[in-house]
Amino acid sequence: MSAGNGHSPVLSLQGMHKRYGGVHALRSANLTISGPGVVHVLLGENGSGKSTLLGILSGQTRPDQGTITLGGQEVAFSSPVDALARGIAMVSQETAVAPDLSVAENVLLGRGLVRRGPILSWRRTERRARTVLDRLELDCDPRARVGDLSPDQRQMVEIARALSSEARILILDEPTSSLTDDEVEALFRVVRQLKHEGVAVIFVSHRLPEVFTIGDEVTVLRDGATVAAGPIAAFDDTSLVEAMVGEGSAYGRGGAVRPATRGEGTALTVRGMRVPGAVRGVDLEVGRGEIVGVSGLVGAGRSEMLEAIFGARPIAAGELTIDGAPFRPRSPRHSIERGLGFLPPDRKGQGLVLGLSIQTNLTMVETIGRSRAAIPRPEAEWQRVADTCERMQVRMASPALPVGSLSGGNQQKIALAKWLLRDPSLLLLDEPTRGVDVAAKAEIHAHLKTIAAGGVGMLISSSENEELIELCDRIVVMSRGRMVVSFSQDEATEAKLVSSAGGHV
Amino acid sequence: MSTSTALLGKGWRATANFRPILILVVAMFIFFTVTQSAFSTDQNLKNMLADSAILWIIAMGMTFVLISGGFDLSVGATAALVGIFMVKVLALGLPGGVVLVLMVLFGALVGALLNGIPIGRLNLSVFVVTLASMIALTGVVELWSGGESSYVTAPVAAMIGVDNVFGFPVPIWIMAAVFLAALYVQHLTFFGRDVYAIGGSPIAAKLAGIRVPRTLMMVYGLMGGCAALAGAIAVGRVGAATPTVDSTIALQAIAAVLLGGTALTGGSGGVGGTALGVLFIAILQNGLSLAGVSSDWQNVVTGVILLLAVLSDRFNFSDLLRRSSEEDGAAGAGGATDGDPATLGAGAGAGPSAHLNA
Repeated sequence: MSAGNGHSPVLSLQGMHKRYGGVHALRSANLTISGPGVVHVLLGENGSGKSTLLGILSGQTRPDQGTITLGGQEVAFSSPVDALARGIAMVSQETAVAPDLSVAENVLLGRGLVRRGPILSWRRTERRARTVLDRLELDCDPRARVGDLSPDQRQMVEIARALSSEARILILDEPTSSLTDDEVEALFRVVRQLKHEGVAVIFVSHRLPEVFTIGDEVTVLRDGATVAAGPIAAFDDTSLVEAMVGEGSAYGRGGAVRPATRGEGTALTVRGMRVPGAVRGVDLEVGRGEIVGVSGLVGAGRSEMLEAIFGARPIAAGELTIDGAPFRPRSPRHSIERGLGFLPPDRKGQGLVLGLSIQTNLTMVETIGRSRAAIPRPEAEWQRVADTCERMQVRMASPALPVGSLSGGNQQKIALAKWLLRDPSLLLLDEPTRGVDVAAKAEIHAHLKTIAAGGVGMLISSSENEELIELCDRIVVMSRGRMVVSFSQDEATEAKLVSSAGGHV
Repeated sequence: MSTSTALLGKGWRATANFRPILILVVAMFIFFTVTQSAFSTDQNLKNMLADSAILWIIAMGMTFVLISGGFDLSVGATAALVGIFMVKVLALGLPGGVVLVLMVLFGALVGALLNGIPIGRLNLSVFVVTLASMIALTGVVELWSGGESSYVTAPVAAMIGVDNVFGFPVPIWIMAAVFLAALYVQHLTFFGRDVYAIGGSPIAAKLAGIRVPRTLMMVYGLMGGCAALAGAIAVGRVGAATPTVDSTIALQAIAAVLLGGTALTGGSGGVGGTALGVLFIAILQNGLSLAGVSSDWQNVVTGVILLLAVLSDRFNFSDLLRRSSEEDGAAGAGGATDGDPATLGAGAGAGPSAHLNA
């Protein structure tokens, strides 16, 4: 079935607007699926508004403006259940199966369990689940416990669940990010089967080769607006990447401002590091005062690599050195005593203790290694805390307030600053500016450059490529647990990073 | 003049996380003073306090357990076990003071090994672990005592249970000492800060280099030590070590801690509020008994007030959340600052903010 010949559009979103406080997540985004049985690819970098658009489609988010036309009728979804009732089902990025229930129960969860009088009939429930699984040509025991399945099988169960409600439009949000090549092939077989049955699929992916394999038509979002749309045949790699990143990033290249103090020894070397289930052989070097960026898709193993170096996740193999001396990660505490610092991606759950004061959070790492029976002297801390907050431009009324009362950007500055009180030799930063506003982001970037200029080596993982290009002396790209390529700051462009992360080296 | 007003304001603000219970305790005290002539007599108040010593001491230990994000159901069994231990050690002819020290160490060891290791190192569920040790220890108490009460005639028992020193019963002195020690640990040690951090976010604490398993072992050890001291006082007040385990004392202590504004979710609160929570229960029971109201009604009132106290906490919390999410566009702070160990040192006048404003 070719794209939309002789059909009116099954779904059309026009002029979608959505604001969250000061953030304009969508401004005039459009998306049209030209007919049944069409695979429509949705592309866009992180922060381009994809998630918001999917949220609107699946009934989780209400748009501020814009019209949704479904099968020729204008509609508004009041909830995900409403969207589902109208035939739109979504399989989200994180699989949402109940691991302790059987395949049949998961497939029919919430709607299709078959009753016989007041009693559930397991025989009939299983038979009904089987028909859905057969439709997808899935060879999978309806009685198996879902927790025992492999990730790709679990995803299939989710797709089966979406289809058990007779969905006419299926949204797959980055379904391939955690799958191997064989598993991706199995998924594509299912997608083609659905096409054949006339189900329209919205397919979100960062991997360009896949997009050309499976897609019929494409919509590209950038900064909340639709910047390109049409049949996939009208595009190639270059034109899609250009549409995603725009021509000439607005970001200036700040790297040249930094005094070149690096080059005196190495802060970190990593040889052949493997982390079970995430990192499959990484070699890496970070000089003192050097900022090295790690780019890659979600699931490429970036976070796991940083956690493993910091000792928060066991490593299977690898030789590391810190400041030239051999180093075997054991625990965060051990790493801290060796001069490492780690800024986790989730400041609310991992980087800070929100209910405790700014002061307590700031001094938490500084005292590691001192006797716990010792008496902290808050008065002695005040000056250091005040100086640090001033240096980091933290806007607050008093360091005695809970850190959770600060804005996101100021929280992030505290989460970063607590490591500076220990004079680290190496900082590992995972998404250093996630969820902070533009002004705070620029301030944090400036701080990071200043800190590096003081001789601290930095390894920064970020899903925002423009951030890496702005900050880093060197950027390595990870894909599926491996380093695939390394760029110097001069060589790196968003287009190169995006296409190498997606598997085009 | 203005400084004393400022001091007053500071003191009032410092009560923020246990204000409802403070007002309630004061109101109840006034109410019973007015309505029951026997209430505010010297002797009645001393008896009331001395009777509440067991709950008080256990609740102080329990405060740290709750701040760390857990609770301990096994303290009643630990207290009874330590009572039997006391009889056995006294039979060896050791001096009273040594016996007391050994008892507290024994209780601490029981808490650290039976609860601290499974919870801190093995990451087992707090409920399951402390329930299991409660059940097991109850059995051990029965076996070890042979199911019989033993009278304790050693002078040390009477000394810590009923004797007076400087006009006050010894249990009241012990209460004061435990309270001061708990305040010290809470505010003036890195250990205290670690407990708050772990209760607030165990992952953040671990990533900041805090030894979470070891700290939790010490928290449950501290709890066991408090239970042991309470057990010693119980023996002293009764004059005998009985094999009956008071299985409700743990829940009463948790109730007192919650009444005092410490949250079951961990990371906030403190022993100041707990003191008020225990006083509330003590005054209510004493006053209602004097008024001839049955203890069943005392339970009804305590339960209702507990629910209301926790509810009022929830309202404060949601206010805070609303305010911070307006700035932040995301979920904000939990818990109150007053429990924060670092803020105590910020005395009147020269608080940390003074440096920034200067």
